[in-house]
Amino acid sequence: MIEYDVIVIGAGVAGFTAGADLAGKGYKVAVVTTGEPTVCLSTGCIDLCAGPSAREGLEALPDEHPLRRLSLADMEAALNGFKKTMDDLALTYTGGLDVNRKVLSALGSFKTTCLVPDTMAASPQTNDEAIHIVTFEGLKDFYPAYILSRFPQASFSVYDAGASTTMGIASRFEQGLFREAFVAWLEGQRIRENKIGIPAVLGLEDTQGVLREIEYHLERPVFEVPTLPPSMPGRRLFNALKAHFRNQGGDIYWSWPVAGVEKTGHLVEAVFTPTDGKPNSLNARAFILASGSFVGGGLTATRETIVENIFHLPVFVPSARAGWFEDNYFSANHAISRAGVLADSSFRPEGAGFENVFVCGGILAHAQILKFGCGNGLSLTTGYAAAKACAEYLS
Amino acid sequence: MNFEHCMRCTICVENCPVFRVNPAFPGPKQAGPDAQRFRSKREKAVDEWVLLCSQCKRCEMSCPSGVEPAQIILEAQQRFGAEHPHTPAHLLFANNYYLSALGSLTAPVANRVAATATGRKIFNAFGIATSIPFPPFRFRKLSREKKTRSRSGRKVAFFYGCFINFYRPDIGRKIIRLLQYFGIDVVLPPQWCCGLPALGNGNLSLARSFALKNAASLSNYVDAGYDILYSCTSCGLCLLHDYQRILDVPQAKKIAERTFDLHEYLLRLINDGDIEPAFTEVRRALAYHIPCHLRALKIGYPAVKLLERIPGLSCAVLDDSCCGLSGSYGFKKSNEATAMELGRRAVYRISKTGAEAIVADCGSCRMQLGALSELEAFDPVEILCESLNICAPKTG
Ligand SMILES: Cc1cc2nc3c(=O)[nH]c(=O)nc-3n(C[C@H](O)[C@H](O)[C@H](O)COP(=O)(O)OP(=O)(O)OC[C@H]3O[C@@H](n4cnc5c(N)ncnc54)[C@H](O)[C@@H]3O)c2cc1C
Ligand code: SF4
Ligand code: SF4
Repeated sequence: MIEYDVIVIGAGVAGFTAGADLAGKGYKVAVVTTGEPTVCLSTGCIDLCAGPSAREGLEALPDEHPLRRLSLADMEAALNGFKKTMDDLALTYTGGLDVNRKVLSALGSFKTTCLVPDTMAASPQTNDEAIHIVTFEGLKDFYPAYILSRFPQASFSVYDAGASTTMGIASRFEQGLFREAFVAWLEGQRIRENKIGIPAVLGLEDTQGVLREIEYHLERPVFEVPTLPPSMPGRRLFNALKAHFRNQGGDIYWSWPVAGVEKTGHLVEAVFTPTDGKPNSLNARAFILASGSFVGGGLTATRETIVENIFHLPVFVPSARAGWFEDNYFSANHAISRAGVLADSSFRPEGAGFENVFVCGGILAHAQILKFGCGNGLSLTTGYAAAKACAEYLS
Repeated sequence: MNFEHCMRCTICVENCPVFRVNPAFPGPKQAGPDAQRFRSKREKAVDEWVLLCSQCKRCEMSCPSGVEPAQIILEAQQRFGAEHPHTPAHLLFANNYYLSALGSLTAPVANRVAATATGRKIFNAFGIATSIPFPPFRFRKLSREKKTRSRSGRKVAFFYGCFINFYRPDIGRKIIRLLQYFGIDVVLPPQWCCGLPALGNGNLSLARSFALKNAASLSNYVDAGYDILYSCTSCGLCLLHDYQRILDVPQAKKIAERTFDLHEYLLRLINDGDIEPAFTEVRRALAYHIPCHLRALKIGYPAVKLLERIPGLSCAVLDDSCCGLSGSYGFKKSNEATAMELGRRAVYRISKTGAEAIVADCGSCRMQLGALSELEAFDPVEILCESLNICAPKTG
C-alpha cells in the first residue's frame, strides 16, 4: 500500500500551491485529479480582491468571506512566494496588495487584477493611449473592432498565421522561422502607435522570450490581450504550477477522480477511485480538498440542493433552488455563487468533525468570485494557508 | 459520463497532440461529444477524419467533466471501419501479430527486405511510412522460452506482448530474470496479440477474436492463483480497459482484478516490505518519457518511484509530450507528418533536460524517440537490471 503524508484532491491553483508548499517542507505529497483545472480557462491573471487595491478591497469584504480567515502577512507571504517561484520558471508576475492593475480585455473593456503576467504588463491603463492591435486571420472570438470602438487612437492589422485557433497559432510562435516572418511582416505595417497589442497566443513555452524578441525589433512595448477560453496564459500558469510541484518532489495522478473515502472516527485514511479492475486507493495522514466549485467539479447542484461529492461535507446552500439565480444573467450577484464548504480558521471544513481534512480554493463558501474579483488569488492564498495548517497538524 | 456532460471548455482540444499539428483533425471535442449528437445508427458513417485520432487518450486524461472523447471516437472508428473497405495499411497493421510472427520466423530475410530501398518503396506503396526504421525482427521469440520456476509463494503469468516477443525478446528475458531475482515464479501463458493494433485500425472482429483467446488463457491462470503482469503499457490498457469497455470479453473483469503493471507490482512488494532490492549506483542522467497509455492507466508512474531508489541516477520526468508514433498510427503514410512533428517536439523537450539517454516503458515510444534523437532509449527494466547487476542470458 502506498503511503503519503498528504493527498491533495485537485490540480488547480489551490491544490498545486498547497501541494508544492508541503512537498517543499519535505512531506510526501500526491495530487490526484479528475482532469485539468479551471485556471486553464482563466486569463492567467491573479485576481485577489476587486477595488483600487486588493488591500482596500479586502478590508471591505463581509466577515463570512474566506479571505477574512487569512492575515495580511500570510497573504503577502503567499503572493511573494508565488512571484518568486514563477520568476524562477520564466513566467514573471508583477504587482501586489497595494495597487490593482488594469488589463485590456478582448472586449475593449478593462479588467483589474492583483498580479499581472509579464506579457500583459504593458497593457494600456487609459482609453486615450495610442495602441495598435494585431489579430490573426480566422481567429475566433477576437474582434479588434470591440477595442477600436473604445480607443479613439487605435488601429489594427490582420496576419495570416495559417492557423485559426489560439493553440494552433501559439504552436507556430514556438517556431523560429514563423516568428521571423511575423516580425518582418509587422515591421512592414509601418505602425505609428507606440504600443502593440496581440491576442495571447505568443507560444506556450518561452512566451517572455517571444515577446521580448518582437519588442526588440519593433522598438516599443508589446502586450498580450487575454482571449476567451482556450486561454494560453491560463495554460502557461497551469504548466508552471505543475512543474513547480513536481520539482518539489510531488507525485501527480491524472484521471483519478476520487469517488469516496475510507475513514475511522475523525480521521480519513484513504481515498479511492473507480477502476476497471482491482481497487485503486491511496492513503495518507492528511487530505486537502481543492476540488473547485461547479466548473472544477467540487460542487454539484442537484434538483433540490448542492452537494460536495467526496467527503459529503456540509455545504452552505444560499436558498431554495428558485432563489439561486437573479433574472439578469450577467449579474455578478447570483446567490449560487455563495454556495460552498464553510471552513474554520484552521481551514478545516466546519461541522464535519474531521481532524485531518483541510479545504481551500474555489470550493469555499461565500467566495463570490465574480462579485469580489477573487478567483485565482483566493485559491493561491487559501492554498497557502491550508498547507500551513496542514503542516502544523502533521508535525 | 456521456457526451452530454461536455461543457465545451476545450481543455481536451488543447491537450490533443494531433490537433496541435494537423489542421485536418477537428480535435477531440468536435470529433467526440460534438459530433456524437449527429451520429445516427440509420446513416452510414461519413466522418473519415475520426481515423486521424491516434487514441493517445490525452483528451480523456484532461477532461474535467469525465467525458471520454477518445472512447467516443474509438467507437466511431470501429463503425467507420465496419462500413468502409480497409486500406492495405490498415489491414496489415491490424494483422501486425501475424505479420510479425512471419517476420520473426524468417528474421534474416525480413530484416534485409525492410532495410532496402526497394523494401521501403513497397512499404510506401501500401501506405506505410518509412521515416524511422522499422524495428528489426528477432529470430528467437520469447514465446519459445521455457517455463521458469523458482521456489516462492508468489507466482505471476507474464503477458509480454508483441513488441517484446518479436522485436526485443532480450528485454523479456531480463524481466523474467528480474522477477526470479525477487523469488517470484514466472510463467509465460499461451498468448496472442492483445488486440489493440486491430482495434486501432478499425478491425473490431479481429480484435475481439484475439481478446477472447487471450482471456480464455489468462483466466485459467487467474483461477490457478497467478497474478497477471504486463510490461507494455498499451497492452495493459487494452487488457484492463478495452476488454471490458469495447470488446465485451466475458472474463475481463476477473482478469482486470488480478492484472498489474510490472513496476506497479514490484513497488507494491517493496511498500509491503516483502522485497528489499539492494540497488547499486548507476551513473546516468535520464529523461523519462511517460507514454500516453501509462498515464491513462491511472496508476501514477511506478517505474519512476523505482528508479528514484537507484543511487547516482537522475531522471527528469516528461509527461506532456506524445511521441507521435502511437503504435502503428505513425507508420501510416497519412499520419507520417503528424507523427514526425510530434516526435520532434518531444525530442526537443528531452534535449532541453540535458539527458544522455531516454527511458520509456513503451517500445514504440522508444523506437520513435531513439530514432529521432539518436540517443539510446531504454526500458526501465534495463536500468533496474543494470543497478541490480542482473544480466539476461544470451539468446541461443
Ligand atoms: C472562464 C473563466 C475565466 C476566469 N478568469 C479569471 C481571471 O482572469 N483571474 C482570476 O483570478 N480568476 C479567474 N477565474 C477563476 C479562477 O480560474 C478559479 O476561481 C480558480 O482557478 C479556481 O481554482 P481552484 O484550484 O480552487 O479549483 P479548480 O481550478 O476548479 O480545480 C479543481 C480541481 O479539482 C479536480 N477535481 C474536482 N473533483 C474531483 C474529484 N472528485 N476527484 C479528483 N479531482 C477532482 C478538478 O479536476 C480540478 O483539477 C476564471 C474562471 C473562469 C471559468
Ligand atoms: S485520443 Fe489523443 S489523438 Fe485522439 S482525440 Fe484524444 S487527444 Fe486527440
Ligand atoms: S475537456 Fe471535456 S468538457 Fe471540456 S470540451 Fe473536452 S470533452 Fe467537453
